[in-house]
Amino acid sequence: MNPLKHNPFLNRQKLKSGRVMFLLVVFVSLSSWCYLAVGIETGAYVLVYPSNFGNRIQIPANNPTTKQGVYLGRMLFYENRLSAANTVSCGSCHHQDKAFTDGLAFSKGVDNVLTSRNSMSLANLLWARKFFWDGRADGLEEQAITPLTNPHEMGQSLDASAQKIGKIAAYPPLFKLVYGDSSITGDRIVKAIAQFERTLISANSRYDQYLRSAYQPTPDELKGMELFNNAPQPEKGIRGANCSHCHGGVKTYMELFHNNGLDSIPKDAGIAELTSLPADRGRFKVPTLRNIALTAPYMHDGRFKTLDQVLDHYSDHILESASLSSFLRGESNEPGGTSLKLQPLEKKQIIAFLNMLTDQDFIHNPDFADPHLLTSKNKKY
Amino acid sequence: MKKQLLIACIALLSFTAIPLLSQAQAAEKQATIKVSGEVSAPLTIDAAYLQKFTQTTVIRKDRDGKDHTYSGVIVSEILKNAGVTLGPELKGENLTKYLLVEASDGYQVIFALAELDKGYTDRAIILADQVDGKPLAPGDGPYRIIVQDEKKPARCIKQVTAMQIHFIK
Repeated sequence: MNPLKHNPFLNRQKLKSGRVMFLLVVFVSLSSWCYLAVGIETGAYVLVYPSNFGNRIQIPANNPTTKQGVYLGRMLFYENRLSAANTVSCGSCHHQDKAFTDGLAFSKGVDNVLTSRNSMSLANLLWARKFFWDGRADGLEEQAITPLTNPHEMGQSLDASAQKIGKIAAYPPLFKLVYGDSSITGDRIVKAIAQFERTLISANSRYDQYLRSAYQPTPDELKGMELFNNAPQPEKGIRGANCSHCHGGVKTYMELFHNNGLDSIPKDAGIAELTSLPADRGRFKVPTLRNIALTAPYMHDGRFKTLDQVLDHYSDHILESASLSSFLRGESNEPGGTSLKLQPLEKKQIIAFLNMLTDQDFIHNPDFADPHLLTSKNKKY
Repeated sequence: MKKQLLIACIALLSFTAIPLLSQAQAAEKQATIKVSGEVSAPLTIDAAYLQKFTQTTVIRKDRDGKDHTYSGVIVSEILKNAGVTLGPELKGENLTKYLLVEASDGYQVIFALAELDKGYTDRAIILADQVDGKPLAPGDGPYRIIVQDEKKPARCIKQVTAMQIHFIK
């Protein structure tokens, strides 16, 4: 007879440790379930925007926007481990405080090689149909694949990303919550990122407030707005910069692609690199002007450091070429003039208006901030 | 023998030169127009294709305030070739179709099919490739829609690259 075997005290201890283990497992699984069920809201995400933005929004039928999808998308947008060296995330070149740009002409990726074009600002992408400076991607889902996999950006295949993310405890349950099962694929990664990006709506600048009669612009801002919207007609005594020809409407974005006279022989052929059409040479996306005061440097190659330089370009330095967009040719505030010839004060007034497009709520919205940073910050306190 | 060698040399040269020539042509591609959507026969239109149609002229003012003579092809004639429901078929549900015209700069305009059909209107809407007897300027062409008598020029869309027929949703 083994005395130990029948030692009631030892048996009780075994039982106890078994119970403790059982309770621990129950507690952990319950708490993780509660975390998912309570911590993350689920259901359709309601995209809120002013009625004057219009409803020509772009949401593919196979990727409806959900609260849990946006939550996951935000985690992934700021996830360094989606890059080859675990050092770069979407957020590395798209900082919220700079209206999701990075303040650089070109950005460094995982291999420290510079990108070939300027990092674009992210705002009101819900209404955009074509992405990149040359419009080559037809939707946000397709767009996201390029920076994730480009060797000079995040440099990691979607499959490798899916595998890596699958090993991080937080993600499989999130994917299950969003897609119904915990399988992680490249397709699901880009879909979630696209869902988050659709929520980046900027609609409370002073310009928006003015449009809903909640802000009275200064005289300079009003004059700037007038110059922004008017085409110059010197014979009628109307002065203007005709910016609204391409940046018009309440969103200051019209999804157009133009050669704006930066170069006679462009170093970067723009859309012509894709189409080989002479008319597309030096033609690039006309970007949104939302938060434009925060998104320097300007143009596809970041050649202009300030808005003053941008205004000088349009006023006095448009360069002629066969593919120069025709509306930029021969527009002038002087009879028979060949360039806009804005006065220094007029340039300042237009810049005053452009500053009205800065949306403080947008750049400070906690829903758009890095969630990983928030958790590590929380841990500190 | 020398003659034969010469012929062989010329033949060799011409074989190597031909691909070089065609490569040069590929670099300077010509613009085309894709016709798609609710069509029975999608088309890709180029200059040679347009020559098959009767040429029509429309006179209208441009932004310079002067009359210009545009020539090209009636849009509905092209669409008929793509099998769009015009003429006797343009009734009932088909009246909820529209033509979306797209330009290389991303600009888009639409026309209801009934605006294009001779049974509904005499107003000509043409796809022009010439103005005052000359090819359109690079910034306007090679193809531009010209809408007869329309007061604003905003739908006279330049640098046309696509024409799509859709039902309203």
